[in-house]
Amino acid sequence: MIALWHYLAVAAALFGIGLVGFLTRRNMITMFLCAEMMLQGVTLNLVAFARYHGNLQGQVFALFVITVAACEAGVGFALFIVLYRRRHSLDASTWQDLRELGVPQSVDAEPLPPAKPESEMPQLTPAGIKPEEEALRV
Amino acid sequence: MPTLPLTAAGQIILAGILAVAAFYLLLPKPRSRSVAGGIAAGIAALAVFALWTTQAFAKPTQDSVAIVLFVLFSAGALIFGTVLVTQRNPARGAIAFAFVILSTCGLFLLLAAPFLMAATVIIYAGAIIVTFLFVLMLSHADGPSDENDRTREPLLGSFAGFAFTGLVLFCLYKNAPPPLAHEQATHELPFLVLTDADRAKLQTAAARLDVAATEIKALNPTELAAIEKWFEEYKATAHETEDATRFYKKLRASRTDQQAASTLKLSKMVFDLSKATTKKFQVVIDSQKPFDTTAAAADIIAVRDSVRLLNGARELPARNVSNLGFVLYTDHLLAVELAGTLLLVATIGAVAIAGRKGAPA
Repeated sequence: MIALWHYLAVAAALFGIGLVGFLTRRNMITMFLCAEMMLQGVTLNLVAFARYHGNLQGQVFALFVITVAACEAGVGFALFIVLYRRRHSLDASTWQDLRELGVPQSVDAEPLPPAKPESEMPQLTPAGIKPEEEALRV
Repeated sequence: MPTLPLTAAGQIILAGILAVAAFYLLLPKPRSRSVAGGIAAGIAALAVFALWTTQAFAKPTQDSVAIVLFVLFSAGALIFGTVLVTQRNPARGAIAFAFVILSTCGLFLLLAAPFLMAATVIIYAGAIIVTFLFVLMLSHADGPSDENDRTREPLLGSFAGFAFTGLVLFCLYKNAPPPLAHEQATHELPFLVLTDADRAKLQTAAARLDVAATEIKALNPTELAAIEKWFEEYKATAHETEDATRFYKKLRASRTDQQAASTLKLSKMVFDLSKATTKKFQVVIDSQKPFDTTAAAADIIAVRDSVRLLNGARELPARNVSNLGFVLYTDHLLAVELAGTLLLVATIGAVAIAGRKGAPA
């Protein structure tokens, strides 16, 4: 049978992937989704223990974790709106002046590749009679 | 099942190194991003992780449906998690997150938590829709942009994250009991500790305890004769309760079936509680002192609650909602109220934060 430890290993791996995403990504919404993935790993842990101890305490705790995650999502998105209004960007690195003393500013060394130019819109042949021809006809 | 010529710690380290390489190659960067190499390294890391899981802990036995579903949902969760982390477009990342939620919900179903599965899907479906709206509203990036195409310290970040995960997995490995050879060979599923007859007996015992509690509350503490008559009836009720929980003396759970072991422990606890309560009443009645009826009623209600909890232990997942409700509104009532207050405060806070017309930059 699938033992408790298999579920705990999967939950730990899910938590680790979320941790890597939260540490590395710069888009605030992506960082938030990675934090939610960490919470899913923890919830999986709790539910696995509930199953293997035969009581519902783990599931009750997991329900409260989901509730707190919902609250966190609400307040988090409100903060994203306020931060976006200030700098007009979802980049967390635009707020670098809030970093600790002694930590050097991280500068983007490599330039971004240029945006692909939009291809010209195709020209359709006009339908119907041209106005000069119509004047000649009449 | 193929094995790697490494110790368990070595396998964790190998999986970690491959995962770091995979994430370093896959994370969006202006240059040196290699999706093909990253996918190859990611598949290798997943394979080593799966091998380590089957080797370090008990090998999954003949329950092939559960194994297939478990592997499907776990691999889905981890793969879509990787997609979420490494996808440069946040809208596609939100879709990947939706699939992560669906995979973990599948795992919840395997763990006999249908209410949590439904609650998670409902709540996170709403959250993902809101995320999409925010992405559409705020993220105007058509081409390469700072927030989507750059990452902070991809190598060091991946290394830190997977070093932490490796440590957690190593601690799990060290704490897991070693699988015994003969138990790995058994094909039987964990046996059912509570039969339907046992459940019926527990139900009647709980009902009779309820009746005894209401009776004792109605009596006058000084009418010792009436109390003694009630106590004779109560002894019969207590005897029935102990009879209903006596099965723990006959059964013995296998070492790997923690659920059965915990049910047997719970039944022994109910048995001891009922005996102790009866003895307490006996002492007070023998001493001919006035009988504290409200305290006695409270004690009997405590015994009845423990009988009900035992009745709900390991019930079919179909009764999961009612058992969860019972536990929430008896043991965790304060937490429920606090969670409701937290939701209210969060709503007010979100509206207050975002509704303010602040000074533009």
